[in-house]
Amino acid sequence: MRETIPDSDGSERAPATPYNDPRLAVDLGRGLRLQNPVMPASGCFGPEMGALVDLNQLGALVTKTIFYHPRAGNPSPRLAETPAGMLNSVGIPSRGVAHFLEHILPAYTRYQVPTIVSIGGLSVREYWDLAARLDGVPGVAALEVNISCPNLEAGGLEIGANPRHVAAVIEGVVQRFAGPVIAKLTPNVTRIADIARAAEDAGATAISAINTFVAMAIDVRSRRPRTGTPTAGLSGPAIKPLALRMVWEVARTVQVPVIGMGGISNAEDALEFILAGATAVAIGTANFPRPTAMHETILGLRAFLDAEGIGHIHDLVGTLRYEPFGAVGTLDAAREATMGPSWPSPEQPREPR
Amino acid sequence: MSVFPPGVALQVLAPDPSERPPPRFAAAPITAQYRIAAEHYLLRLRDPQIARGAPGQFVMIKPTRALEVHPQLPRPMAVYRYLPASEEFEIVYRVVGTGTRVLSERAAGEVAEVMGPVGQPFRLRPGLAGLLLIGRGIGTCSLTAAAERAAAQGARVYAVVSARRREFLVGLDLFARLEAEVLAVNDADGTSAPARVGAFVAPLVEAGRVQQILVCGSHRLIALAVRLAAPYGVEVQVSLEAHMACGIGYCHGCSHGAVGESEEAPLVCRDGPVFRCLQVEAA
Repeated sequence: MRETIPDSDGSERAPATPYNDPRLAVDLGRGLRLQNPVMPASGCFGPEMGALVDLNQLGALVTKTIFYHPRAGNPSPRLAETPAGMLNSVGIPSRGVAHFLEHILPAYTRYQVPTIVSIGGLSVREYWDLAARLDGVPGVAALEVNISCPNLEAGGLEIGANPRHVAAVIEGVVQRFAGPVIAKLTPNVTRIADIARAAEDAGATAISAINTFVAMAIDVRSRRPRTGTPTAGLSGPAIKPLALRMVWEVARTVQVPVIGMGGISNAEDALEFILAGATAVAIGTANFPRPTAMHETILGLRAFLDAEGIGHIHDLVGTLRYEPFGAVGTLDAAREATMGPSWPSPEQPREPR
Repeated sequence: MSVFPPGVALQVLAPDPSERPPPRFAAAPITAQYRIAAEHYLLRLRDPQIARGAPGQFVMIKPTRALEVHPQLPRPMAVYRYLPASEEFEIVYRVVGTGTRVLSERAAGEVAEVMGPVGQPFRLRPGLAGLLLIGRGIGTCSLTAAAERAAAQGARVYAVVSARRREFLVGLDLFARLEAEVLAVNDADGTSAPARVGAFVAPLVEAGRVQQILVCGSHRLIALAVRLAAPYGVEVQVSLEAHMACGIGYCHGCSHGAVGESEEAPLVCRDGPVFRCLQVEAA
């Protein structure tokens, strides 16, 4: 645990470290303030990592998705490595909310950084019930609503790919949970910006983008899928350019803060997402080979501010420089012609926050 | 508990009261790497903490040099030998894919990113007089550290070492050094039939010369060991293999399948890789 020292006004304040450098502090809305913009991606983290690294140095902690009722998850094998990435078909085993509150949440809340609880559901109602149960629970700083898991028998994609269902889930969660509500989007949609807007309109205070891509790998000798379920979720460096494009589209569309994720392994990757419009970033698959990846990313962001003479990480958010009528503009025009003007015109990129 | 293989139930071992170093993530210097057979390599690394781990524990090792992104995942590998005097430990592995091939190209003088020691160790009984090890293929390398520990505690070591081909037999030099009684068998020579292995194992069990059996690398040999050992009250522990990403229990990638609709089977990384085996009615 981090030691605290009294501030001049009598309040307790952590001693200055590279990880709580005020230039890295970010605000994700409705009181969710982080000492720095780096957190783990749900499912790629647990308090077990506290044995290896200091979790008080992160921006936030994010739980594995919990369900209201216990569920076993999918058959093995649940993992397969693919070029510069991995497939998982874990399927979110969860021992249910009661077990979570009694046995798992305390392992998070012993740390001083905010804990974001990821919630899942096989029905709209299950999300709502979880939100009600978690409202007012000490130590639950925010909910991340996982409307995007590709490995569920029901719920994840069916809900996350449909703006009306997304709106219903988020509206109900916001009504029942008074704190910040983050909608975590799936990339397995045609126009992610439409989903993001639906979530924002329904009251989401931030958007996480993206979850894994539905994908597969086959063992040609056994002619069987390499994971226990035929399809699985792809993550890792392989998806980073795809994730970046989607985060950019989302950030141009919504006014609420965006948490960018998808193949981020280091500070340079994180900076790409921040320039594309992410206020904070999450690191997932990179935690497996390198449990220090999040810490190295934080230090790298700080070094970048120093090297570039930038006063605050905020000053970089959404500051991508591009020519609206260049190659990107052409893509936008083609998109608009085929899909209709459902997102902001490229001539008016959103103001940096 | 889950049923695996048929006729055998896995039981998670009770918490181990012995003092063990906590896991850590470190850049460990590679102090030696050499080929010990056609497809097998021995890798020696230096890390004072991992060198004090327990037999049956494993490490997660990133095959590539630090910044490469493929292959991305670290590989779980059993510790073949602990060398605490020199703060080193050894891994023996077979090149089977990209990760192990890349690892085999690393050389002494480089560092490898490793996390460990992790997992539940084998539980050797105090005052153990005889220990039987049954290893198949590279799985034998999960048993060698336990053989050394048991021999150092005064136990007589017996070993069945099995493989598909004679050149894939591993650990024979180590077992010879421990003056173990060894049955080495392989499929190519037609010597690895269960009846032949059973003929070696059964007298040891029946005569009470071994009190524990440790198995790794073959479901068939696990079933054989349990069947022969159960009537005589000889305990069987196994070390399981699984695909892993985190190695310490949070990714749930290595769960040994589901148990019913709402219960997840044990995690091989955290609840195992060592489990006790019990005989049950075959389904």
